[in-house]
Amino acid sequence: MKYAYYISCINESLSMEADTSMNLWKKDLGIELVPLESGTCCGGSNLDFTSPDQFLAINGRNIALAEKIGLDMITSCNTCLLGLRHAKHILDTQPEKKEMVNAIIREEGLEYTGKSEVKHLLWVLVDDYGLDKLAEKVTNPLTDLSFAPFYGCHILRPSPLMGGYDDPNRPHTLEDLVRRLGGNVVEYESKNKCCGFHTLLVAEDESVKLSGSALDEAITAGADFIVTPCPLCHMALDAYQKEALAKVQSGGKMRILHLSQIVGLALGYSEKALGLQKHVVV
Amino acid sequence: MTEEKKDIYFKIFRFNPEVDQHPFYDDFKISVEKGVTILRAINYIKDHVDSTLTYRFYCQAGICGSCSMRVNGVSKLACTTQVWDELPNCKETDVITIEPMNNFEIIRDMVVEYTPVISKLEKYISWVTPKIKQQDLGKKEHIISEAEFKVYDAATDCILCGACYSECSMMTSSREYISPLGLLKAYRMVKDSRDTRSNDRMKVLNEDHGMWDCTHCYRCVEACVKKIPIMDAIQGVRNEAFLRGMKNSEGYRHAYAFTQDIKSVGRLKESTIAVRTKGIFGAISMLPFALKMLGRNRMPKVFVHTIPGIKHVKRIFQKIK
Repeated sequence: MKYAYYISCINESLSMEADTSMNLWKKDLGIELVPLESGTCCGGSNLDFTSPDQFLAINGRNIALAEKIGLDMITSCNTCLLGLRHAKHILDTQPEKKEMVNAIIREEGLEYTGKSEVKHLLWVLVDDYGLDKLAEKVTNPLTDLSFAPFYGCHILRPSPLMGGYDDPNRPHTLEDLVRRLGGNVVEYESKNKCCGFHTLLVAEDESVKLSGSALDEAITAGADFIVTPCPLCHMALDAYQKEALAKVQSGGKMRILHLSQIVGLALGYSEKALGLQKHVVV
Repeated sequence: MTEEKKDIYFKIFRFNPEVDQHPFYDDFKISVEKGVTILRAINYIKDHVDSTLTYRFYCQAGICGSCSMRVNGVSKLACTTQVWDELPNCKETDVITIEPMNNFEIIRDMVVEYTPVISKLEKYISWVTPKIKQQDLGKKEHIISEAEFKVYDAATDCILCGACYSECSMMTSSREYISPLGLLKAYRMVKDSRDTRSNDRMKVLNEDHGMWDCTHCYRCVEACVKKIPIMDAIQGVRNEAFLRGMKNSEGYRHAYAFTQDIKSVGRLKESTIAVRTKGIFGAISMLPFALKMLGRNRMPKVFVHTIPGIKHVKRIFQKIK
């Protein structure tokens, strides 16, 4: 299994442990990733309103880089997933926009055709690789541990852009994965809600209230960890945890895992190798 | 052929703040035929089982927007929702939960206090103040082109049912937030060439609790009973702020920083994003965050490498404005 890997800004900077973990176990699953070094930031759900056409061209170019090497593209950040799939949807349905983009990127030897899929790492594990095969690879079943899944918005909504992997009101792929890694799943209201990351710098009080509610519910439900497929949710839930819990008048603590880390743990890698000590809450 | 029919349990939220100390749920078991809507089912309960059950409804055809409530946890119109379609969404087999919308005060059972919505529509000047003078109204026409109407056609479908307001993440954090429907209406008015008060409206939208506080969770888009792409409208209002060069907000500066980074190196310069968003003094509040990261040896790269082929990215920015 070979994919083009879209490097998200946060995973090569503040949250390096997410990609480091994935790079540890990818060979165990026979997954080969070709990093798209020339790819740019997806715009972080900003470029789509600062300049909708620049947004299309930037992300059309990103996807065209994968097309050039004939591979589908994987990302492990929800917001990158949304940005890329949003642009792809427009380019695939509006020929004049596709031509606008191609007229520029042809000079770089690129052509956006729409042939490369854009997928999240979670979808690749659940769908392309398959949970039966993944379960066979587990050497350290996560028995006795309880996990609260936190999907993050941009892998669920808007659902017409998300390929039908999950019903945004009743998602299950992350739970399915946790169970096949041997872990127990904790039910709680906030699993498909918002972490508030995108407004942390402009409306911190309101934003941390959102992550605070999720953390408080997961603590009350008795989870040992929250696990999330999005590094931005991880940041809001981990790095802002103290402020978030204080905001909802709650206490306690909750460790937050990246998707790549829970897989790594089940495949027998140590907490240290997976960078769990890099988290704010340890 | 016999009609499909089965016993359905309705678990319905009850609360009369004048009498009840706490909300509670009543369970009703009724026999329902396939094809019956949630509204018809609860009308049956009200007519035949418990006449005190309280909720709003009027048109029964998905037009008036008054019967919005949460069905199995999700805000929708009772009159356009089929009982059968809800069965796969039940947590317990054949038990449908009916609750009032979120983010509103409850008057009784599913009836919520709607005044805050009206206040927001007033605050954000959600109507057209026409260019045509009062005395000429009805005598002169202001022609709207088809191209212009396309811009806000979908937004005009809003029936103010409040489902987006109920599902909105930011509304659960702050009732002062403008709300998705407020932003949708604002977009619809800002883009209307007949209107004369866009400057005033954009000024209020640019304040706290306005256009920059949406956290892009897309819950509003998912919940909209008219399938209006509300996020396009929210981003459209923000785009208008960019077109007008309204630089005096953290939201503007934050988004501007992203575009500048992509243009100059291709990737985000995380180390300075807070300063560029909040200003030097504002960024002081980020010090505890920076120290926490430092404590874990997690510092954003100060010198972000420039991606190979940046000249091609720059060309995109030169060719498209």
